[in-house]
Amino acid sequence: MKLNKCSKHAFNMVLHSKLRSWLTITGIVIGVAAVIAIVSIGDGMQQSLNAQMNALGGDIVTITPGFERGGGMFGYRGGGGGGAQATTNQIVLGRSDVQALKGLPDILLIDTNIRESVNISYLGKTGKVSVTGVDQKVWSQITTTTILTGRMLDSADQNVIVIGGNLASSYFSQPVGINKMVTINGGSFRVVGILDDQTTSVYMPIQMAYQVMPDKTNDIYDTLVVKIRDQNQLDESIANIQNKLMISRHVTQNKMDFSVTSRKEMQQARAATMSSMSNFLLAIAAVSLIVGSIGIANTMFTSVLEKTKEIGIMKAIGARNPDILLIFLFNAAFIGLVGGILGIILGTILSGFMPALMGGLPMARGTAIVSLNSIIMALSVSVIVGILAGIIPAYQASKLKPVDALRYE
Amino acid sequence: MTETIMELKDVWKIYKMGEVEVPALRGISVGIKKGDFVAIIGASGSGKSTMMNLIGCLDIPSRGSLYLRSHDISTLSESDLASFRGRTIGFIFQQYNLIQSMSAFENVMLPLEFLEYDDQKAAKRAREILALVGLSDKMHHRPTQLSGGQQQRVSIARCLAGDPEIILADEPTGALDSVTGREVLDMLHRLWENNGKTIIMVTHDLNLAKYAHTTIELKDGEIMKISENNEVNKK
Repeated sequence: MKLNKCSKHAFNMVLHSKLRSWLTITGIVIGVAAVIAIVSIGDGMQQSLNAQMNALGGDIVTITPGFERGGGMFGYRGGGGGGAQATTNQIVLGRSDVQALKGLPDILLIDTNIRESVNISYLGKTGKVSVTGVDQKVWSQITTTTILTGRMLDSADQNVIVIGGNLASSYFSQPVGINKMVTINGGSFRVVGILDDQTTSVYMPIQMAYQVMPDKTNDIYDTLVVKIRDQNQLDESIANIQNKLMISRHVTQNKMDFSVTSRKEMQQARAATMSSMSNFLLAIAAVSLIVGSIGIANTMFTSVLEKTKEIGIMKAIGARNPDILLIFLFNAAFIGLVGGILGIILGTILSGFMPALMGGLPMARGTAIVSLNSIIMALSVSVIVGILAGIIPAYQASKLKPVDALRYE
Repeated sequence: MTETIMELKDVWKIYKMGEVEVPALRGISVGIKKGDFVAIIGASGSGKSTMMNLIGCLDIPSRGSLYLRSHDISTLSESDLASFRGRTIGFIFQQYNLIQSMSAFENVMLPLEFLEYDDQKAAKRAREILALVGLSDKMHHRPTQLSGGQQQRVSIARCLAGDPEIILADEPTGALDSVTGREVLDMLHRLWENNGKTIIMVTHDLNLAKYAHTTIELKDGEIMKISENNEVNKK
């Protein structure tokens, strides 16, 4: 029998055992959808990371007190953790460190930061957000975020703030616009700029921040953000900064009480964590695909049993063993293919929800991307899975003796 | 009517029921001539179904040999046997054995697809044959939408599609009432008379045997009698 005829008969078999075929297909759909959704979120995160890495910020180095290797992915946002505070730990960054760094030719700009979670209220609604005090003279030149409306902080600014996009648009019941007054820890601040991002952060001149954060001591910093002169000399610049600070802080390599991390390193660490996490999720999704393939095998065995008589008839009227084998293999492949196609559609829809589902994780920001690669991969995997699951039942069908098969009721 | 189309030489078929060996055929030797109308008769358990399976190349003998147009079928591979069967033998079964999910037309197309006929040629052939058995208007009906007699006509059409030399009919009227049964037999008779087919019919009904030219009577796996009925002749 010609191949196109085999596939026609196989397709008819799928159509004529609707319920069972669809149930089996559902198994594959779930497996493929899970794989597609997870791969898409992985690809999406990868792409947004790549974009970040290629964007501004490759020349930014962050110095925090205390020593943490690598700079954790959550650590950056936390600003180096509790070790930064003078009251709980004597290891701090201060004016002398800034002075020491200013002598380095590698360094273009130094921004001094303090950060704390503070109470904020606007039109009677209150909340708690992270406020960063920045050196307003350099911050606008160091930050990689851009302004959506209004302006950056200016050197002459006093009681003004720049706020993140989400804080402006959706944090309070009403949007916060330019020139609106916001109360932070009792002090009134005027919004001069809204950032083009999705955060709820607040930036204010560091001198004002010392006033609204009673726990912070003047001239003690949580973080020093440094812009280096030449991005291509990043590693050497980091080494120079470390050496300079070790000398000025009188510590050795082994007792280093500060960390110097580049944004690139942090992003690479994030990428590594993300890739191992998405691999883990992919493995879970693959399990459901395997379960689906067992479903195909089961359906095919049932189908062979159910069609025994027909197989006998076909053999009596001239079907050769390979004809029967191919019809059943095509049947299994069709189930895989249909499952794969529907799974890709469902997976694509699901992947739209993935960022929201994983919204709690800072690294899952960014959109899910269903790439052509993952579609091709999912389709070929589901068809191959179908064929593999169908091999044994199809072989059994082809080996049935016509006499026995015809007698079967 | 001299050429022997099929020859059984000392054919034994032994089934194993657990540890016991049950011989269904015991040393059958018979030749079937090309263009003959043969009835194989016998009570149930006489071995006629076993003989029919062997003649239809659906099974191979335990001992002895079976020649079909001088091929020893026990030496053929399963697939070769299937192709050979498809080209040479057409089956008509008691229970019609049509494929329920296919229309009459598709059922008739099926053997042609196995024989790898060209699509258009096959469709033309299937339409002609269905017209021949008087089912032109029911081509796209499923077996469940057809009466028993119509289903048996579809199965005759399917059997004729590949233009086989031998038509093997296993109790062809067994499931039909006497009138439709008679129609089916008349149709077989016409095929024998006008188309020169060799017809082998297996039945337990002695009345049907009257239609045949040669009658082979089986009992307990052995041939009791071979008789020729000279009243039945081609006109």
